Amino acid sequence: MTLQLLLTLLLGGLATLDATPVAQTLLSQPLVTSTLLGLLWGDAHTALAVGVVLQILAASTTPLGSRTPEDYAAGGVVGVGLALALAHGVTLQPWRDAAQLAGVFAGMLAATSGVPLIKWQRRRNEGLSRWCERELRAGNESALGHASLAGVTMAFAVGVALCAAWLAGGIVLLRPFVEHESLRLSRAWTLAQPLWMGYGLAQLLHAFVQRRMTRLGVFGAAMIGAWLTLVMGTP
Amino acid sequence: MSGRLRPLTLWRVALRANLLQSTWNFERQQGLGWAYALQPVLEALYGDAGTRRARLAEHTAYFNTQPTLASLALGVAARLEEERAGGAGPDEAGMARVKAALGSALAALGDRLFWFSLRPFAAALGVLVALAHPEAPWGALVLWLVYAVPHLVVRFLGVGLGYAQGPAVLGGRLRRNLERAVSLLAYAGCVVLGVLVAYALVPGGEVRSFAVQSALAAGLGLGLLSAQRARPSPTQWALGLGVLVLLAAWLRQG
Repeated sequence: MTLQLLLTLLLGGLATLDATPVAQTLLSQPLVTSTLLGLLWGDAHTALAVGVVLQILAASTTPLGSRTPEDYAAGGVVGVGLALALAHGVTLQPWRDAAQLAGVFAGMLAATSGVPLIKWQRRRNEGLSRWCERELRAGNESALGHASLAGVTMAFAVGVALCAAWLAGGIVLLRPFVEHESLRLSRAWTLAQPLWMGYGLAQLLHAFVQRRMTRLGVFGAAMIGAWLTLVMGTP
Repeated sequence: MSGRLRPLTLWRVALRANLLQSTWNFERQQGLGWAYALQPVLEALYGDAGTRRARLAEHTAYFNTQPTLASLALGVAARLEEERAGGAGPDEAGMARVKAALGSALAALGDRLFWFSLRPFAAALGVLVALAHPEAPWGALVLWLVYAVPHLVVRFLGVGLGYAQGPAVLGGRLRRNLERAVSLLAYAGCVVLGVLVAYALVPGGEVRSFAVQSALAAGLGLGLLSAQRARPSPTQWALGLGVLVLLAAWLRQG
């Protein structure tokens, strides 16, 4: 479990890099990281159950302009990683459900707690920017490369630290709770999961429809068509 | 591309564009990353160290746009720097104006295309595939490929396109095509979401319990209502809903 936890932290750092400082390819999205973590921990079912909910919520969070969005790169890794750690070696279904509920909560809280950290990094980068300008004036043209490297290193370190803090705290504090209250938490999960999914899907629908009735009609037709096909079965 | 800049130089710019946001800050936003990405161009054009440093310092000024389409702006800036190095082209103030105009125009289009359309579309399609094939990693792969392929193609080819077309890069056909892509993705997204909601209600043809269907419908309704306001954020709403469900579970079982 120690090696899996260390690799989870490493993935947390890499996901944080992909989210903003490097490339932005969506490797950091919860569905991608949860799939990787599922393979790593050998429990694709738990990873996917948490990853899907966090992914739908993450998709409705946009990094527009200078707005600092919730950090779902770290949140995804924390949520799925915590659920996997809590459900590790457990076969009892209510316990596993409880671990998934705890994972989604921890993922959302970690994503929210990442906002002040991102803002802090951005303020630190202001100092880096002024240092870079001074160095350029002094004739050091490699300062730009060093500044980029410093920005990337800091983002990676913050991502790893955030994931480590949440995972450590989550495992220590939530394991006894999940163990003793698994029945209640399991019951809550059966309702919370569809509620969260519905809520997140509505946010996505709103982004696509943009108050255009034709698009809403397309959504309705697709939903009814798919529902009928699923209920009746394909001919 | 008949100018003095070689394709390899533009490729290096595209490669460095991946670090455009590595030093993002509230003061200059992408300014430092922009200067770092453009550095190979300035090194190729200005042999005199003093002029090169002055140009580099000039490019560290404020700049911000949607990071994928920033490649087009970098290509345009490379073209204008080439003209400047040849004795023509805009002066410092002119360059700043072009950057500001391009930054706003590309942000307006890029935010709609990449953040509001492609990203949610890729996420919805990925989730749908993941739910349909939970035993295989196809969902994650679909999500990543649907977004990353167009994103990386634009990032790497955009510099060359911006360089070839100059400041007029966003006029005419490219803008029309990107606008069409936004509209197409919105319709495709509506279809995927429709199928996804149906699949969540009846996964694999097996009708879920009334309580689960009601919870999904309640989430959808509340989500559509709360989407009319920016605050509280979707995550804060989701946390609140989660706490309510926990309370309900506790009260019901005493």
